[in-house]
Amino acid sequence: MSSFRRDKKEEEDGGANMFQNLDKTTLLQEARYFNSTPVNPKKCIHILTKIIYLLNQGEKLTTQEATDIFFATTKLFQSKDVMLRRLVYLSIKELSSLAQDVIIVTSSLTKDMTGKEDLYRAAAIRALCSITDSTMLQAIERYMKQAIVDKNPAVSSAALVSALHLSATVPDLVRRWVNEAQEAIMSDNMMVSYHALAVVAGARRNDRLSTVKLVTKLSRAPIRSPYALCLLIRHAAKLAEEDPSEASEPYLEFIESCLRHKSEIVVYEAAHAVVNLRKSARDLAQAVSVLQIFCGSSKATLRLAGARTLAKLTTKHPSAVSACTVDLENLISDPNRSVATLAVTTLLATGAESSIDR
Amino acid sequence: MEGSLFEPTLYIVKGMCILDNDGNRILAKYYDKDILPTTKEQKAFEKNLFNKTHRANAEIIMLEGLTCVYKSNVDLFFYVMGSSHENELILQSVLNALYESVSILLRRNVEKRVLMENLDAVMLAFDEICDGGVILDSDPTSIVGRTALRTEDVPLGEQTVAQVLQSAKEQLKWSLLK
Repeated sequence: MSSFRRDKKEEEDGGANMFQNLDKTTLLQEARYFNSTPVNPKKCIHILTKIIYLLNQGEKLTTQEATDIFFATTKLFQSKDVMLRRLVYLSIKELSSLAQDVIIVTSSLTKDMTGKEDLYRAAAIRALCSITDSTMLQAIERYMKQAIVDKNPAVSSAALVSALHLSATVPDLVRRWVNEAQEAIMSDNMMVSYHALAVVAGARRNDRLSTVKLVTKLSRAPIRSPYALCLLIRHAAKLAEEDPSEASEPYLEFIESCLRHKSEIVVYEAAHAVVNLRKSARDLAQAVSVLQIFCGSSKATLRLAGARTLAKLTTKHPSAVSACTVDLENLISDPNRSVATLAVTTLLATGAESSIDR
Repeated sequence: MEGSLFEPTLYIVKGMCILDNDGNRILAKYYDKDILPTTKEQKAFEKNLFNKTHRANAEIIMLEGLTCVYKSNVDLFFYVMGSSHENELILQSVLNALYESVSILLRRNVEKRVLMENLDAVMLAFDEICDGGVILDSDPTSIVGRTALRTEDVPLGEQTVAQVLQSAKEQLKWSLLK
């Protein structure tokens, strides 16, 4: 009986079989196949998939093994097959930290990032920025600036996100791309404007005055991207926290105006910020009522977000939370245990005699 | 108060993974070197996460200082992890993007066997959703559009035409030989 069951299981796994019992010695052998011409895309895609899968499973490669595979992979640039090319980029990124002399593909990638095929360009930019060091970067700086303001959102996003990663190692260089990034903030594409805002704000991180300017200007601009708005709320909240005087009033007004946004993500972001910034319980009412609605949502994530923010508020303003007692009581028997636990602890902190009876 | 406000950062996603119904890893990526740096720690975390979530379909769990949102179907479990000081709804939007894109790629057959057959496309989707912890895209249609599904379809069509031609040629050859 047990053997029958096992057979059945193996049968069910059918498609998974080719990924079982993979070992790296065989794969290293198979990678040699990449050297043969002309390239057979289907077979190479299959081998590359297995290599990336094995790395993803946590298999360790020595520097020599990784370098061997990496160099074999570079031969696949001959093929024009989009799927294969994309997997080559992916394996370049996966192997870049393990193999030696990875900069050898710089020129191939530069060619792809400036080429005609949009599907290549975005992915090539990301792969290129993962292998280049600061000296090589200057050579591609011109292309990066162009890519940031490219019409294709995927290309623009790829360049901006890469710039963001690079700003950790070469901040001075990336700071020179801010003008282009600033232009991209007003993009119609939601992700591009989000990424661009992050690059610009990141470059001004240590300059309070220009951050103030940026936030003030953008809080009046019609930004549609929910992610970008969340980021802007975070910067505004940070400014307000650093300087709690009258001057922070415009930031708080902007954040409160976001409580009426149509996206739940933005509403929650704003409510969370207000709850952490406002001092008096009266000013909190609007944000608390939003969180109260979240507690009654059918989505567990919203209930948790609401309950968790209210739970934090109890230490500061127990009176403001007491308005939500009934909603929190409903959450005690919530199917999600994290939500139920939060509700119980919050109620214990705010509870009065009257609520114990119920 | 430390960690009361959300940090203004783009490095929101700490990890994403897909597990099978035994809790084994199919695909996983961790983006923060300070969190779960070794494969051993990652797999231990995944086991723990799976044990806590595979029976209760409760969408979200707080585990080991991480907020994990999740979703399951047939024999697959999808997870997105973020720090516990993070907007949960943003993580949820990433999970939705991951699940929906995979679902489109697998033509709505979200199960292990089909996923393994399309592992290459799913890997590319992973790469298109999150780049080093930054959300790259959260719109399933544009993610799928970028994962080269297009080429998969085109050669298939060409292939069938070529096959038809080939078989026609062979038939003609045989009829001539007779």
